[in-house]
Amino acid sequence: MPAARLVLIRKAAGLGGSRPAEEVPRFDRRFFDGRERFTRIGGGAIGGKAAGLWRSRRVLAERFQDADASGFIVEVPTLTVIATDLFEAFMDRNGLWDLALAEESDDRIADAFQKASLPAELLGDLRALIEKVHQPLAVRSSSRLEDDRARPFAGVYETKMIPNNQAEVDARFRGLTEAVKFVYASMFFRSAKNYIRAARRSLRRERMAVIIQEVVGRRHGERFYPDFSGVARSFGYYRSGNALPEDGVAILALGLGKTVVDGGLAWSYCPAYPAASAPFASARAQLKRTQLDFWAVNMGKPPAHDPMRETEYLLRCPLSEAEADGTLACVASTYDAQSDRLTPGLHGPGPRAVNFAPILVYDALPLNDLVRRLLAVAAEALGQKVEIEFAVTLGEGAAPARLGFLQMRPLAVADEFVDVAGSEMRGPGVLLASDSAMGNGVAKGIRDVVYVRPDRFEARLTGRIGAELARFNAGLMAAKRPYLLIGFGRWGSSDPGLGIPVDWGGICGARAIAEATLPDMNVDLSQGSHFFHNISSFGVGYFCVRHDGGFAVDWAWLERQRVVAQTELVRHVRLGSPLVVKVDGRTGRGVVRKGVRA
Amino acid sequence: MIATSSAGVQKQTAKAKGFNAFEMAQSQFDHVADILKLDDAARDFLRVPMREFHFTIPVRMDDGKVKMFRGFRVQHNDARGPNKGGIRFHPHETVDTVRALAMWMTWKCSVVDIPLGGGKGGVICDPHNLSDREQEQICRGWIRTMARNVGPVQDVPAPDVMTAPKHMLWMLDEYETIHGVKAPGFITGKPVGMGGSLGRTEATGYGVVFTVREALKELGLKPSGCVAAFQGFGNVSQYAVRLFRQIGGKAICVSSWDQKDQKSYTFRRQDGVDPDQLLGITDRFGGIDKNKAKDLGYEILPGEAWIEQEADVLFPCALENQVTGANVKRIHKRVRLVAEGANGPTTPEADVVLKERGIFVIPDFLANAGGVSCSYFEQVQCNMNYFWEKDEVLGKLDTLMTSAYLAVSDCARKQKLFMRDAAYVIAVRRVVDACRQRGWF
Repeated sequence: MPAARLVLIRKAAGLGGSRPAEEVPRFDRRFFDGRERFTRIGGGAIGGKAAGLWRSRRVLAERFQDADASGFIVEVPTLTVIATDLFEAFMDRNGLWDLALAEESDDRIADAFQKASLPAELLGDLRALIEKVHQPLAVRSSSRLEDDRARPFAGVYETKMIPNNQAEVDARFRGLTEAVKFVYASMFFRSAKNYIRAARRSLRRERMAVIIQEVVGRRHGERFYPDFSGVARSFGYYRSGNALPEDGVAILALGLGKTVVDGGLAWSYCPAYPAASAPFASARAQLKRTQLDFWAVNMGKPPAHDPMRETEYLLRCPLSEAEADGTLACVASTYDAQSDRLTPGLHGPGPRAVNFAPILVYDALPLNDLVRRLLAVAAEALGQKVEIEFAVTLGEGAAPARLGFLQMRPLAVADEFVDVAGSEMRGPGVLLASDSAMGNGVAKGIRDVVYVRPDRFEARLTGRIGAELARFNAGLMAAKRPYLLIGFGRWGSSDPGLGIPVDWGGICGARAIAEATLPDMNVDLSQGSHFFHNISSFGVGYFCVRHDGGFAVDWAWLERQRVVAQTELVRHVRLGSPLVVKVDGRTGRGVVRKGVRA
Repeated sequence: MIATSSAGVQKQTAKAKGFNAFEMAQSQFDHVADILKLDDAARDFLRVPMREFHFTIPVRMDDGKVKMFRGFRVQHNDARGPNKGGIRFHPHETVDTVRALAMWMTWKCSVVDIPLGGGKGGVICDPHNLSDREQEQICRGWIRTMARNVGPVQDVPAPDVMTAPKHMLWMLDEYETIHGVKAPGFITGKPVGMGGSLGRTEATGYGVVFTVREALKELGLKPSGCVAAFQGFGNVSQYAVRLFRQIGGKAICVSSWDQKDQKSYTFRRQDGVDPDQLLGITDRFGGIDKNKAKDLGYEILPGEAWIEQEADVLFPCALENQVTGANVKRIHKRVRLVAEGANGPTTPEADVVLKERGIFVIPDFLANAGGVSCSYFEQVQCNMNYFWEKDEVLGKLDTLMTSAYLAVSDCARKQKLFMRDAAYVIAVRRVVDACRQRGWF
C-alpha cells in the first residue's frame, strides 16, 4: 500500500462476484405481468449493483412479508438486467472500443454511442418491454467493478430516468434505447476514466450491465416522484449529540433520491436518535439549511431532445409544488417567525422546512424502525457495515406504504487504531485541523497542495474552479503525485451556490481533502456525504474546517510555499517536506501537520 | 451484387422433372381450405391470382440489335392491402413459379399481419450475360408497361432473385418520370440514403432466427447448445448464420453455387463457420472459393451434404424444392427443427416424412417473412419521408416476427395442427375474412 495512502484495513465485502446470469430468470417479455419481477436479458454477468439487488430480494422475501407489522410493503422494484455480453456485442459490432478508450470529450463519446446500433438480439426484448410499460423507468449502471469488494464503485457511472409515458410506442422505445446507450457511454466519460485510473483498475476489462427498473413513485400532474427517498448507513461519520459512528446515519429527501446522491440539501439524522434536535443554532438557521426543492420525473411537455444529458427528463421543483401535490405535509414543519420555532406538519402560511419531523418526531409513519431493521438485516446478510438506498410512497387511505429497496452495498470501514490528541491539533506545526474529519489512518509523503485561492474565491465562479481543478488533478495523477486539496463549500455539490460542483473523477488524485468555509461561503458543509464511498474506499482523509470554528487553515504558510502552477482561481504548491495526515475515525479528529525538514 | 448467391441451384430446381411450384402452392391451399371448410367461391377465388400481366419488353442491346424479353406481374390478392412482392430476373423463370410465389406472398403478409397483399413479378433473362445498361433498359421497360398497374397504393415491387437495389432505383426513377411525382414508397429494397431502410439487409436472415429462437424455447433447447446446418450463402443465410451465432448457437456448414463448376458445394467446419471469413473469399455471384476455404480449415462436400449433417437445426435458405421425398430420409436423427429460410424449400412428400419423424418445421412464409416485414417498414418510412434508426427497425421486426410465431404456435397447439398448416390457417383465414368483409364472396 503506498505510503501516502491512508492505511485502511477493510473487511471482506462478502457480496461475491457478479452473479452468473444463470441464477436469474430470463426476461420473458413480460415486465409487470410476468411470473418473475427480477429478470435478465443476455447470458453474461449482471454486474455489481444487480448482484446486490438479487441478494437483497432474497433476504427481503425471507424477512419482510407483505405489509408486515411495520405497515410497509418492502420489495425490490420490478427490474430486468441487460447482461454484460450484450454490452460487449454493442462495443464490438459498432467498433467503439478505440474511440471509447481514447481521450475524447464526453460529448463526442456520447454522440458516437447514440449513433451506434444495439445488438439485434436485445432489441426485440426492449421493444416488447416498452410496448407494455407506460410508467417511468430508471436505467441504471451495474458494472463489474461496482461489485468490487474492496472498492465498490458508487456514483461513477450515470443513471437516466425516462418518463416513458408517450402514447407512441416508438417514442418510448427511442427513449429507452437512448438511455441504455447513454449509460454505456458513461463508462468512458472522463470522470469515470480518472476514477478507474485512480482505483488502479483496468477500463479495458470493465464491463457494463444495465438495469431497467420501475421508478418508485406516484404521478402528481406533470411530476412523478416518491414521497421521499433515502440513504442509510450502518456506520456514520456524521456526529451529533450522543450519536456514535456505529449508530449509523440516515439521509432523507423529498422526491427522487438524486438530491441525496448528489449531495444536495437533505435531512441527516442518526437512526438511534431520530427525534434528537438537529445541530442548528436556531429554527431560522435550520430553515436555511434544509431542502428547498426536489427532483421529479417530468411527465409533462416533452423537453428539448438531449439524450446526452442525465437530467433530460427530470424536473427540479420548488417545495410549493409538493405542497400542492399533498406530499409535503408528512415530511415538513412550518416555521413561525414570531416564536422562531418549527412546528411539525403544515400549519397555515409560513416557510416550510423539510425536516421529516412528522415522521421522525411524531411517528406518523414507523419509518425509522424499518430503516434500522433493514440496516441490521442487510449488515447480517453481508457480514459487515452496509449502505442501503430506498424510495417510499405512502399508501392512499388504508393502503400500506411501499418501500422500494434500490441498493445494498458493503461499506469499507477502517478499524485501524489512530489517536489524534487535542494537543496535536494546535500550534505552528499545524496546516489545518478539524474535529469533524472523516476517514481513519495516517498518510505520509504528500508534498503537493492544490488549493482554491481564498482571496479570489467567489461563489459564482465555482463551476470554473471545478473545471480547473480537474486539469490540475489530471496532471498530478499522470505524475503519480498524491496531493492535499483545499476548497470552499460542499465538495461535489450539484448546486454551485453551495460549493464546487466537481465529480469524483475530477479530484480523485487527492489523498486528503479539506472543505472550508468563508464569510461569503458560509454553508453547512457536506462532511464528505457526496463522496462518502469514494472517500472511504480510497482511504482519503476528509476535513471540514469552518472559518468561524475552533480550527483554521494556515493560509499564510501556504502562500509562502513554492508555486508550481497557478491560475486566477487555483494554485498548486510543492512543499520542501512531506505533510503528515492523521485521522481518528472514532472521534472524528483529524490534523494535517507541516513536515519537518531533516 | 446479385440478390441471390444460389442462382445455380434454381437451375437445377427448374429442371427438376415434374415439379411445379404453382401446383404445390395450390395443393397446400386446398389442404387448408379443407381444414377451414371454405366454400367453393372462396376456394375458386383464392387458388388463382386476381390479375396477371404477361408482356414483352423490347431492349436495344449493346451490339445494336433489339432483343425481346418476356415479363410478368402476378397480383394474387389485394384484399388486405396493396400487392407486395419481388421482381425476379432468371433465364428459367416460369409464370407458374411467379404465380406460386405471388400466392405465398399473400399468405406471408397475412401471417405476420401486415396490411399488404401478395404479388410477384419476373423477367426471363440472365443478368450474368447482360451489361448494366441492358439490365437498366429491362427495368425501365418493365415499368413502362406496368406503370398504371403498380404504385405505392396498388402494387409495391421489391428485389428478388438476381435483382438488387440498383434495379429498384432504375425502376423508381422510370415510375416517377412517367407519373411526374416523387413516390419513394412505390418500390422497396432501395439503397439506404435513397429511400431504403436500415436493417433491410439483415431483416430476412434475422427474422428466421427470431422464429428459431422462439421455437427452441418450445422444444426446450438452449441456443448455446445448438448446432445448425445452413443451405445457401446468400443474404438470408449470411445474416441467419450471424444472428444464430450471436444468440449462442454454432453453424457448422453453409452451401453455395460454384459458377465455374455449375454445381453447388457444402462448406463444413465442425468448430463453426465464420461468415465474415467466408465472405472474404466469396465471388460476386456468391460462390465461395474452394481452395481458399480448404486453407481456412473447411471441408468441401457435395452440395446436398448440408441436409445430412448431425445438427439440431436445418436452415434451408437457398431456393424452393430442396427438401424432397428423395432426400428427406437423409436428414440426421439429431435434427429437431427445420427453419425454412427459402421460399418453398420442402415438397409435400417431404413434409409428410418430417411430420412422421416429429421434426418441428417453421414454414417458409412465416420464417422468412422478415424481409417483407422490413419492406413494409421501408414503405411506411418512405410514405412519411421520415426514416428510423436501425434499433427501431430491428426492434419492431423482432416483436412482429415473435408475435407472428407465437400466434402460429398457439394455433398449432390448440388445434393440434402441423406448424405449416397452422400458419396457413391463420393466414388464409385473415385473407378470407378481408375478402368477405369487402363483399367479394
